Amino acid sequence: MSLRRSCSRYFSKWRGTTRGSPPRVSSAEVLWSWVGAFVGIALVTWLNTRWFSGTDAGLLIGSLGASAVLVYGAARSPLAQPRNLVGGHVLSALVGVGCWQLLGHWPGVAELLAPGLAVASAIALMHLTRTLHPPGGATALIAVIGSEDIHAAGLWYVLIPAGLGPTLLLGVALVVNNLPATRRYPETWW
Amino acid sequence: MPDQRKTGPLPGAQQPPADAFELDDEDVLDAMRQIPGYLDISTEDFRAIYRLAHAHARQRLLRGLRAAELMRTGIRPLAPDSSLHDAAECLVQQGLKALPVVAADGSVAGMLTENDFLGCLGVRSVLDLLLRLDAAAPADVARCRDARVSALMSAPAICVAEQARAPEMLRAFRRHAGRSMPVIDADGRLRGLLLRKDLLHAAHLDDVGA
Repeated sequence: MSLRRSCSRYFSKWRGTTRGSPPRVSSAEVLWSWVGAFVGIALVTWLNTRWFSGTDAGLLIGSLGASAVLVYGAARSPLAQPRNLVGGHVLSALVGVGCWQLLGHWPGVAELLAPGLAVASAIALMHLTRTLHPPGGATALIAVIGSEDIHAAGLWYVLIPAGLGPTLLLGVALVVNNLPATRRYPETWW
Repeated sequence: MPDQRKTGPLPGAQQPPADAFELDDEDVLDAMRQIPGYLDISTEDFRAIYRLAHAHARQRLLRGLRAAELMRTGIRPLAPDSSLHDAAECLVQQGLKALPVVAADGSVAGMLTENDFLGCLGVRSVLDLLLRLDAAAPADVARCRDARVSALMSAPAICVAEQARAPEMLRAFRRHAGRSMPVIDADGRLRGLLLRKDLLHAAHLDDVGA
């Protein structure tokens, strides 16, 4: 194939293949997404202030907000199922902590390389284990670029917040997402 | 009006069969609106899945079929030395347009069809025969009536084995113009008659849009 044809074929993909994104959901869906996310994040916040006040290595991390989008806002998505939700965070946390343990002692190298390595490896591991969960990438990143408290927590970070946080969101999702007749969760456990 | 933009194949997706029923974006979006909750799939991904699933379903429906289950049994075949007159009666009585001709040793010697009769009368079709009814020479008719089945039958007959599956049956039908064919066992003995319409009906080809 000529170079010109290869190029035109390549750039034709830039145009996109699909017209329009999925339609807007009903207002009732919007409300239930709101309720689920509010209860889920509020629960994690409350437990965090009770158990972990004064430390940054607590229960509440930014990536849980992203998980809430999937678990309460797109509950049917394969990315939002329990295997992905808990597995994605835990495995990504392992990768993130591992990257910091490996590279953290080299000033300069750690700041430049560790974040990319952590996120990319987390994605690869989630792919390989069928636990792809986008917020996992953030969990891996936080393990590397987080505060001294988080770095000091070491492997505890895998358990708290990366294990317990998503498990709490999962519990709330089971309760809230199954209340309305038009919703169900999960599609599959494993 | 939906924008029916031509879209290329999905990168990495296996090219689907060209005869798959095409859905446009509006079809898929309408279906998505009827399912509550956010579905994170693009219309093109949905189409790609639909095409491949459709092809798989067609394979599944076709795979289960065997000639032995579809054939009509209990038919009375013709003998090579019977007269065409007796053969015609036999066909009419059984309501068939073609019958296998079975030799004395039980093997299928050939197939005698309505077209063979028409050919003997020197016409191309039943309508042709009607148009020439007045002109038909009594001598021709008498010659045909007394002729032997073996002289007019198509031989050798294209047969299918009892164990043949849908692709083999379809291939066999493509090899000749007939609407039916003999089904034989491993020794070449007649077991039944497979009608093209029975195969088409059983294959649910209409349901899967093939």
